[in-house]
Amino acid sequence: MKRILPALLLTLAACGAQPVQTARTTSLTWAVETQPITLNPQLWAQNKARLLVFNQFDALLSKAADGSFGPWLATAWTVSDDGLTYTLDLRDDVTFHDGTAFDAAAVKANLDQFLVPGYNPSVAAIQLRSFDEAEVVSPHRLRITLKEPDALFLDFLASPLAGQVSPKSLKGAEDLKFGGPDLVGTGPFILERYVQGQEIHYRRNPAYAWPPAGAAHQGPAHLSEITYRFLPEAAVRVGALTSGQVQVIEGVPATEVALIEKDPELTLRTALNSGTAYSYYFNTSHAPFDDRRVREAFREAVDLDAVLRSVYQGTATRAWSIVGSESPFYDPSLENTYGGDVAGANALLDAAGWKERDAEGFRVKDGERLTVREVASAPFVRDRRDILAQAIQAQVKQNAGIDFQVKILDQGSAQQAVDDDAYEVFGNSRGDSDAGAALNLILPEGAAINRTRFADPDLDKWLAAASASSGQAERKELYARAQRAAVTDHAVVFPLYVPADQIAASKNVQGLGFDPASGTPASAYDVRIGT
Amino acid sequence: MIRRLGAGLAVLWAAATASYAALLLAPGDTVDILVGDGPDTPEIRAGIVAEWGLDRPEIVQYLSYLWRLLHGDLGRSYQQQRGVGEILAGQIGPTAQLTLAAAATGVVLAGLIAIGTAGRGRWPRAVASAAELVSVSVPPFLIGIVLLSVFSFSLGWFPVSGADGPAALVLPALALGLPVAGVLGQVLRGGLERALEQPFAVTARARGLTERALVARHALRHALIPAVTLAGWFTGALLGGAVITEVLFGRPGLGQVAMQAVTGQDMPVVMAVVLLSAVVYVTVSTLLDLAYRVIDPRIRG
Repeated sequence: MKRILPALLLTLAACGAQPVQTARTTSLTWAVETQPITLNPQLWAQNKARLLVFNQFDALLSKAADGSFGPWLATAWTVSDDGLTYTLDLRDDVTFHDGTAFDAAAVKANLDQFLVPGYNPSVAAIQLRSFDEAEVVSPHRLRITLKEPDALFLDFLASPLAGQVSPKSLKGAEDLKFGGPDLVGTGPFILERYVQGQEIHYRRNPAYAWPPAGAAHQGPAHLSEITYRFLPEAAVRVGALTSGQVQVIEGVPATEVALIEKDPELTLRTALNSGTAYSYYFNTSHAPFDDRRVREAFREAVDLDAVLRSVYQGTATRAWSIVGSESPFYDPSLENTYGGDVAGANALLDAAGWKERDAEGFRVKDGERLTVREVASAPFVRDRRDILAQAIQAQVKQNAGIDFQVKILDQGSAQQAVDDDAYEVFGNSRGDSDAGAALNLILPEGAAINRTRFADPDLDKWLAAASASSGQAERKELYARAQRAAVTDHAVVFPLYVPADQIAASKNVQGLGFDPASGTPASAYDVRIGT
Repeated sequence: MIRRLGAGLAVLWAAATASYAALLLAPGDTVDILVGDGPDTPEIRAGIVAEWGLDRPEIVQYLSYLWRLLHGDLGRSYQQQRGVGEILAGQIGPTAQLTLAAAATGVVLAGLIAIGTAGRGRWPRAVASAAELVSVSVPPFLIGIVLLSVFSFSLGWFPVSGADGPAALVLPALALGLPVAGVLGQVLRGGLERALEQPFAVTARARGLTERALVARHALRHALIPAVTLAGWFTGALLGGAVITEVLFGRPGLGQVAMQAVTGQDMPVVMAVVLLSAVVYVTVSTLLDLAYRVIDPRIRG
């Protein structure tokens, strides 16, 4: 066969049918669970759609698993001593898919786009809170000025939100906020079509020569074409993979893992997400969780290892902190410091005055049953979290007489419960690539998703200091203190498990992996077919 | 005819108003919905209110909604940030294909089974009746999964997903059409059997007509009236079933758009889908009224 192939190619070339190079077309179909709600990287908000963004767009910096940054479209960057001025040196050999050149003016246009009122109010208020202005120093050098030091600014420059869009298409795109083939970037693939409810199709960018630090190869992508099919139903994705109709799938539920692992033709890869663990946050603003002993008792009453084993069949990783164990800011000293002590839980509740029991075995104080409610918004319940809640419900009832009620409601009603302070437990995980960004939203007094309604001036101070500091070691120490305060000292949170992503594929698909910044599937740049 | 048209328009107005009122009455306000579970600060909220004009009085928002509707402007999707008309336009075709194919599958299967088994002894009827019962009572989701695992995953005859070509239409159309065939088949056979007991059937047999000719030329027309009435019902069943079928098979179409819009509380899209369903419903029931006149001359009189 090896000898026949060159002969065949020669014949083909001789016939003038196809140039030899394009005869090597390789295409791949990948079934994904979630449809993007926008194809504009600057409006990106779905971690489940992150794998699409860096096909079409490149960010300014890349981020490694240890939290350090590397070059991408920017080859070098310096931060002034006061943390207010960032100078970026840009590659000078990059062109957008529409043929326009990438330069400092383009980066400035992308940053300024966020200042357009109503364009992306969320990013303008959070990630670019401290952004003042961008200034073109020379064609490939940009100076960015901040109003105050912001340790998270580099993380923004490495996020999909900093995916560089051709300024020409920022002006000319028909649907700027939705994006599409006319909103172009510099990435290794060019978006060809998006059919809502069916697929998104890319072809290779033959000019691509600027992969991020950490990429497995240089030059254009291996695949000449890639199609992502939207198959929201997990069983259907797995069936499509086992029958060879697609070569790769993401999102393999625990119930299907054994089936994939058994199949010699398939491979399964799993990675823990960065960001925060899926945790229960206790509402400390009213009884019964205004009493630290009750919060602690709830955690002690659950044999979490057993619960996770039965709900996720051994595929879930237990969490010990708000911060996921993959994050560089994770504090491992919290491991095995709490949980699973049923006698302790009951002693705590007795001490807190919940001594009597009613006919159903629930604890009672002053005629009130020990009831706590979780109000979850149905669209965000995923990953069998409803089953997990039921298992925990059974444990706290049996082990400690706590009445844990789980309500899964429409989003409006769930929001209403938050507004009315009519909940005691709030379940949440976040996929931020910098766990500090998530902590800033969750822990400080009055923060955007501070559902514990808990306030600790010390903790707020540490988080503010960490946000202003650019020293990785200093930030790690401050975040470790914050985690210990929330998890150990005040027991306002019950970390449950670290969310993970899975990729299952045919044996002959190589180069699949995870984005080190987020732990979600990486783009298709390094993916190839062959052994 | 003009009265019917007026009534149809009234139904559409009622549907538009009802869906608007439902949005107003739903717990949580529009800003909550738009914020979702993302970061939530006063600045973000103010930005959203300004962007969507939510600071105007509700009656003004309602009237401007109706006014835009009259001009064929369905508004913009909260979630996808593009025109609702544009989103729907690309999705009507696949759904029309699917529902028409499913309706055809249902009608043809029901007709074949009913004509084949009506008055034909106990066993064929028992078998047909059992099959109909199963297809009616098994949820379409399960029918779809079973069809997929047998004909796509195991046998590999049909592709699982997409809307490219007729082969991809077979399984979804079957999954959606089987329950329709079940109900329709039962009603049609019942109607046929009642008709075959009528005095006119005895007369026809006495004239020497074969049983087959009797069914085809006389009894079928009688049996059609209740079956056609059911067609109104199965329009609804098909539109509702399309949601499940499209999501399951990864097909583009209005069903999965509606699904995504409902879970994302994308109200402009939900309202447009409601309106569109009302339009289809009104059109179909008008056509059915006309069909009665063709089938049953007594109504014409």
